[in-house]
Amino acid sequence: MRSLFIAAAFGLASATALSLSAPAEATGKVKCQAGPQSGWKNVEALKAQLVREGWKVTKAKVDGGCYEVYGVLPTGEKVEAYFHPVSFEKLYVAQRGKVLFRKQGY
Amino acid sequence: MRTIINSVRFVWVILALPALFQLHGWWTGAIDTMDMLHPTGETSARLMIAAMLIGPLAGVLGPRRWLLWLLARRRALGVAAFGYAVLHLVFYAIDMGSLDAILGELPIASIWTGWLALALMLPMALTSNQRSMLWLRTAWKRVQQLAYPAAVLTLLHWWWVHDGATAAVAHFAPLAFLWLLLALRRLRPIRPSPQAGV
Ligand code: HEM
Repeated sequence: MRSLFIAAAFGLASATALSLSAPAEATGKVKCQAGPQSGWKNVEALKAQLVREGWKVTKAKVDGGCYEVYGVLPTGEKVEAYFHPVSFEKLYVAQRGKVLFRKQGY
Repeated sequence: MRTIINSVRFVWVILALPALFQLHGWWTGAIDTMDMLHPTGETSARLMIAAMLIGPLAGVLGPRRWLLWLLARRRALGVAAFGYAVLHLVFYAIDMGSLDAILGELPIASIWTGWLALALMLPMALTSNQRSMLWLRTAWKRVQQLAYPAAVLTLLHWWWVHDGATAAVAHFAPLAFLWLLLALRRLRPIRPSPQAGV
């Protein structure tokens, strides 16, 4: 009984730790071979450019060697989008897993 | 020790712990609203799977003390799964910010599967009490069988919303494995015992 209790407590604790330590990871959807990060443009410039185009940007980070942006399109859809970190070219846009745009070859 | 473990309150405290951590993280700003969907959704799905594992596990292993202990608390696991799903929906609503935005996403496959899963869990949660068991009698089991379509919808929701199957499939694999095991057992012809026909 005691060992069961410890096992259950341990299981729940590790499950909690796991779910806290791995927030909405989205890897492997798009990959950019863009060379070393020193050659990349600043992510803040990408955010500013998107805001100028009418996007709302919630969050931006690096994923799969690309810039991954969470935000809202000018048309109102909440999306997850990938951009090339050197050219800022749009590569992939998806709304809740539904692909709205994918550049050929990506 | 044993009286603590066996008390009803202990189970509820354990089941509420992940929510406390999650809400605390959000409250202090460590977790963004959009990032609350992951832990709440995953905890809900894990509790749902855990509740659904107990029956088949008892079928495969036979009556064990710890399984009987869990079996007596299965209803609590199911209700907690529903609770986390509601929390998941609350943070979804906060993150979306408007009814229009929420309705706008409804036609997307990854989203309506989530809504439908929650809709199926609602009657289960509402009848997860002694009074409903007595009142519904044999129909009660049928209500609880909504867990099967709800689980399938949850799997699809998880798969599609993330457009990656790995985590979703990994979580449901133990359940699928046990079901397969039980099905195979049922299919296997029953060998006559040595005494038969003597
Ligand atoms: C009420 C309808 C529901 C809506 C609108 C909804 C919405 C969402 C959204 C938007 C995500 C994506 C989160 C992200 O990108 O990080 C998500 C993920 C998820 N949801 Fe739901 N959901 C619903 C119901 C459910 C139910 C009933 C369950 C479980 C029983 C569930 C389990 C999950 C899981 C496991 C994930 C993946 C978590 C992750 O790895 O990020 N959802 N949900």
